[in-house]
Amino acid sequence: MKKEVKVSDLVKIDENTYEIPKSFREDMKVPARLFANKEIIEDILTDKSLSQLANVSTLPGIQKVALAMPDIHQGYGFPIGGVAAMSVEDGVISPGGIGYDINCGIRLLSSDIKVEDTKNIIEDLATALFNVIPSGVGQGGKLKLSVDELDKVLLNGAKYMVEQGYGNQDDLEFCESNGCLKNANPEMVSERAKKRGADQLGTLGSGNHFLEVQVVEEIFDEAAAKAFDLKVGNLVVMIHCGSRGLGHQVCTDYVKVMVKKLPEWGIKLPDRELACAPFKSQEGQDYFSAMASAANFAWANRHLIGANVRTAWQNIFGKDAILKTVYDVAHNIGKVEAHKIDGVNMEVVVHRKGATRAFPPHHPEIPHAYQQVGQPVLIPGTMGTSSYILTGTEKGLEVSFGSSCHGAGRRLSRTEAKRKVQGPELRKQLEAKGITVRCDSNAELAEEAPIAYKDIENVIDVVVSVGLAKKVARVRPYAVIKGG
Amino acid sequence: MENFELIPHTADLKIKVFGKNKQELFRNALIAMFKIIKPEYIEGEEKKFDVMVDSPDIEALLVDFLSEALYLSDANSIAFKDAQIHEFTDKSIVATIIGFPIKSFEVVEIKAVTYHDLSIKEVNGVWQTEIVFDI
Repeated sequence: MKKEVKVSDLVKIDENTYEIPKSFREDMKVPARLFANKEIIEDILTDKSLSQLANVSTLPGIQKVALAMPDIHQGYGFPIGGVAAMSVEDGVISPGGIGYDINCGIRLLSSDIKVEDTKNIIEDLATALFNVIPSGVGQGGKLKLSVDELDKVLLNGAKYMVEQGYGNQDDLEFCESNGCLKNANPEMVSERAKKRGADQLGTLGSGNHFLEVQVVEEIFDEAAAKAFDLKVGNLVVMIHCGSRGLGHQVCTDYVKVMVKKLPEWGIKLPDRELACAPFKSQEGQDYFSAMASAANFAWANRHLIGANVRTAWQNIFGKDAILKTVYDVAHNIGKVEAHKIDGVNMEVVVHRKGATRAFPPHHPEIPHAYQQVGQPVLIPGTMGTSSYILTGTEKGLEVSFGSSCHGAGRRLSRTEAKRKVQGPELRKQLEAKGITVRCDSNAELAEEAPIAYKDIENVIDVVVSVGLAKKVARVRPYAVIKGG
Repeated sequence: MENFELIPHTADLKIKVFGKNKQELFRNALIAMFKIIKPEYIEGEEKKFDVMVDSPDIEALLVDFLSEALYLSDANSIAFKDAQIHEFTDKSIVATIIGFPIKSFEVVEIKAVTYHDLSIKEVNGVWQTEIVFDI
């Protein structure tokens, strides 16, 4: 049993920045760093987040520091909100450090529809969106893919969906990696994973996944808001989902492969859920290609949901009502990126497990239209609180490998959330706040209640104070559509 | 008395399972995994699947056995209610798992069975394990 990290082990190194020194445990290869304030630290006192963060710092080839974003909470292996960069040359890739829901992420669509023009229509809109998006557990979509078609999705992601007549070129332009990781290889994805994914394209899944209609409430950065087409009082649509059963199976398959090979590679881990492979090994490369394929599936999924939302939207508001993709960003992913380590540019495999890429202005990987303002960083709050649109910064690139938080971060278990609030009561509370809810399961609604999460304002304050990202806009929920 | 209990976990589902021997522990873990997410059964015939799993050790065997059931559940829209274990060692299991068709799960879908905090041990003559499911 490894030594557990206590709050008293944290060393404050700057405002809202705490460190677990490398000397804390013999097996730590680098220090571990947490961006948080006192309230956030209190929220994680009772769980194992900090010990999980220390465990990440033991991975072979980890560079500089193991990081936790302010929405940190206990996961399995990595803490949620974890970021780690491993050397491409002699480091590892860890499926558990990316997560079972590969390329779980957020897509945001903007509109010109004013909230005041929709008071009598929001119920119809919520129902139309609920009907067009199969969102329950194990729900298949309307699109059934042949083996050949699925392979094309895995290879080309959202681009293949555009070729099939769903969505448009702009959706690809305003998507991380243009909705397609080029190192994908469908042959590295098992038949089992493909079977699980064959009918799941266009579906949200359950748990914390959602589709929301939101209202832009406040603008903090006029230039960036203009670039992102965000205006106070306008409706936007936020989609949160991932790679469904296909991605879950890819991760399961490769954790199994790697667990078996750990002794041969001489890798000792404090937690087998951190199972990993040398990045340059056959197994490491096979997983990297399979993960990219699953990431492409997730982008195709959010792309198709976006296209289906557009159809429902235009059925309500008319054919001229346009929904533009502002951006689509992954928050469970592994990517090879160049970062400055000890003053030298180095290729690393950045693991983001519940963390969002947040690249600054002028970065070559962000769209031309956003070059002056930076990459949109999409941070959902909860079904009853604000969400935020941020932009990446140079400081973030230096201190967090260009990463930010991915949400508010849970603070209560699902059981505890249900003890504190009942589904029907929560439904009434939300509706009293002007939030329309479409969710078949009261239990699932209660499990995802705002009280189960940290205060989003607090999390965003830490992100901004540390300089990981800058505020652009705050949006509030208007219609919440969930699975279950 | 139930032969499993829910353990608090911030984000995921964690259960503690009991059994009078290792075989029963595995069977109870399978039954518990589906019970906690409340399958919504629909009319349809019982479906049986023969599973054979080999793993490096008993913890890996439990993860792999439950992962196998999870895959079969997701790919066939069924939930498993029971298992007959035919052969069992610490590194291999041969079993028939028995399920019924479902519409959905009432609670949430389990994405995966994890190794996190997993240990299998005997305490006062009772075999027990704790398992974290990613949801």
